[in-house]
Amino acid sequence: MKRILMGAAAALALTTGMAFAEYPEKEIQGIIQWGAGGSTDTVMRSVTPHAEEVLGGTVVMQNMTGAVGAIALNYVADADADGYTVLMGAENPMLYKIMGLGDKDYSEFVPVNILARGTPLLVANNDAPFNTYSEMIAYVKEHPGEVRFGSTGPGGLPSVVTAMVEAVEGDLDVIFVPYDGDGPALTGLQGGAIDVMPAVLGAAIEGVKAGNMKALGVVDVAESDKLPGVEAVAAVNPGYNTYLPWGPFFGVFVKKGAPDDVVAKLTDAYAQAATNADFTALMDGRGFTLMNISGAEAEAFLTKWQQGTAWLLQDAGMTKSSPEDFGIARPAQ
Amino acid sequence: MSSVLDMFMVLTQPELLLLVGVGTFAGVYIGAIPGLSVTMAVSILISFTFSWDVYPAISLMIGIYMGGVYGGSRTAILLNIPGAPSAIATALDGYPLALRGEAGTAIGVTTVMSFFGGFIGIGVLALAAPLVSDFALKFQPRDYMLLAILGILLVGSLSQGSLVKGIFAGALGIAIGAVGRDPLTFTERFTFDFQLLNGGISFIAVMIGMFGVSEALLQLHHIDKDAVRQKITRIVPSLATVKKHLPLSLQTSSIGVIIGALPGTGGDIAALMAYDHAKRVTKNPERPFGEGAMEGLVAPETANNAAVGGAFIPMMTLGIPGDAVTAIMIGALFIHGLNPGPMLMIEQPHMFWFIVGALITANFFMLLFGLTGIKLFTKIVEMPRSVLIPLIMLLSIVGAFAVNNAITDVYWMLAFGVFGYFMRHYGYPLGPVILGVILSRLLDDNWRRAIISEREELGRFFWGILTSPLSLTLFIAVILVFVSQTPVWRWGKSKLFKEN
Repeated sequence: MKRILMGAAAALALTTGMAFAEYPEKEIQGIIQWGAGGSTDTVMRSVTPHAEEVLGGTVVMQNMTGAVGAIALNYVADADADGYTVLMGAENPMLYKIMGLGDKDYSEFVPVNILARGTPLLVANNDAPFNTYSEMIAYVKEHPGEVRFGSTGPGGLPSVVTAMVEAVEGDLDVIFVPYDGDGPALTGLQGGAIDVMPAVLGAAIEGVKAGNMKALGVVDVAESDKLPGVEAVAAVNPGYNTYLPWGPFFGVFVKKGAPDDVVAKLTDAYAQAATNADFTALMDGRGFTLMNISGAEAEAFLTKWQQGTAWLLQDAGMTKSSPEDFGIARPAQ
Repeated sequence: MSSVLDMFMVLTQPELLLLVGVGTFAGVYIGAIPGLSVTMAVSILISFTFSWDVYPAISLMIGIYMGGVYGGSRTAILLNIPGAPSAIATALDGYPLALRGEAGTAIGVTTVMSFFGGFIGIGVLALAAPLVSDFALKFQPRDYMLLAILGILLVGSLSQGSLVKGIFAGALGIAIGAVGRDPLTFTERFTFDFQLLNGGISFIAVMIGMFGVSEALLQLHHIDKDAVRQKITRIVPSLATVKKHLPLSLQTSSIGVIIGALPGTGGDIAALMAYDHAKRVTKNPERPFGEGAMEGLVAPETANNAAVGGAFIPMMTLGIPGDAVTAIMIGALFIHGLNPGPMLMIEQPHMFWFIVGALITANFFMLLFGLTGIKLFTKIVEMPRSVLIPLIMLLSIVGAFAVNNAITDVYWMLAFGVFGYFMRHYGYPLGPVILGVILSRLLDDNWRRAIISEREELGRFFWGILTSPLSLTLFIAVILVFVSQTPVWRWGKSKLFKEN
């Protein structure tokens, strides 16, 4: 009896001791949804060292690719909700359900920080017979079935931008050539395999500056200070104001159920890291809009993003199942 | 012009010189272990070198890259287990040499020719990068498709013995490569509703299983037999040997540079194509191919090392990665505050010349580390099999797990190992399987891109091939290579010769 009591006392001491131990008491695993060298990877690897300083711990980052990021998402969702496995991802999971790519999305997670948002840009091959967004629309309407658009599969940025263009300008009779990422598609664009590509500004801006491709229009409400003189699509057709601003985003997430103090600590660390001068300069240089939001603000952003995008794709007939099936409400007009 | 002098920056700063050296040394050993890939090492280095200055970080990565591409040949020659896909062709003639006790000679030739190929690649990078990248951009989806078909026709060269068995193996490889979510439409293929198959089958796991585990299983048959004594006589090949292979090396290096510079194809395809090329142009090899022909070593090794310089060409001129490693390096440059892209060479030419300099230095280090320690290395083959076999198994398991840190890959690796053992047992060649896996997506994706671009009209598709000089050349090459493997060719040839 004495022994059992002592054991119980020891166990109690141990558990209370654990509860008081400071997070992080071991390495944190950071699972990056996309491959090394890509946008998500670069953003995460540049912000995390600054967060580590605030945390006073180590975040070991690992790329886990495959199935449009679903493998990484499921991995973190299956791990313990103790804050020692964090997901570093992009916007794609918000569309998994309606695209039939998976049954989980960020609603299973707490957003630690939505770091930044990208702006889509329409670029064209230098020899394309149009120089601006408005000229392109006119040309496509006069020459049906001729212009080649690059795409990156259902749910990717090009598919959303195209759905937006079709929602505003009416159906486009163009050929969609599928690529496995915007990098290979932009390479194809420069070689003339495709004529137009919707891509995130950061991926195309160096090519535009060097004169290897031309920017037709910024898919935003106003011109970008990175590309002065390139028209904003909303200025050409105010119909875009319903959908814009829109863009892919990068965020850090922990599984729901993680202790509140752990979430608070992580949130604080990434909030401070995102204000680091090196990081903000890097983001600005690539044309990303810094967001640095967390908590309820981030949740609201995610909900709004998902509603808008999901219904846009649904109306364009690109989804596998209706957003309604998953309780994603149609955004108020 | 002053920026050209930045080439010597590596030499003037001992710290950088040391890092290139350490990187190359580590690269040779990382490359030699199947499953530990250069891509993996470089992506780990991104976190590791984050707080460093950009020059030391790049120096270390370049060292590992150069050393790693070469290192793959080591285990290919000594154990018949290619350390990386780019060394598959090396094993075909390298291992028979080791079985004859000539592993030292084989490694010597491989090292010197890798060094030579590396230089050709760097030379083209330094002198003609913009020209080559313009050419690489000209490749349309249909050209990539034709290139993939040309690659698939290599099955003939890779299947020693029965062609039918080779075709079976190649088709199996293509099917394995198609498993998982199709990257273009995200449709599931061959997944049978298993979640685990959504991400596809890691082809590194297939390679390690087919070559590593099956080799270990096969060796179990001769566990009591004494290992072949290796005679270490002449390691550095004589000048006459190098001279003899010079014309072939130049040709295969050019194949390496071009294939390396094309975004989407890399050293693995280059090495296999070079091997095939050597088999075609070498009229009278001292020993037949597959039994230890020197040409069979020279061709793939010059090509895969030349592909390193090639891969940097689109990266430096356009900001487009030439392969997986340069893709990560672009990320590294970006993290370090540079803007990799077409403006890099104009705005920061010193970075270009610094990379050229680091590559040259790494190439010399590769020669140094390659030619030393051979005696120690050949001891591996002389180890008793009862020690060697468990060691191979252990390395295979670690390597397969390391690819994605996933236990599933270990299961795949073991399954393909057993399968590969039976394939070998019944005389099915394994090379075509890996060839199929490598080319599966290149062929599939580009065929679809090409036909979709032509509004899915076959007529327009063929018209496109006939009106583009590049496509037409590749198309004719495909037809010639195909016909040359059929009885029609031999019949025609014999008739011609009789008439003469």
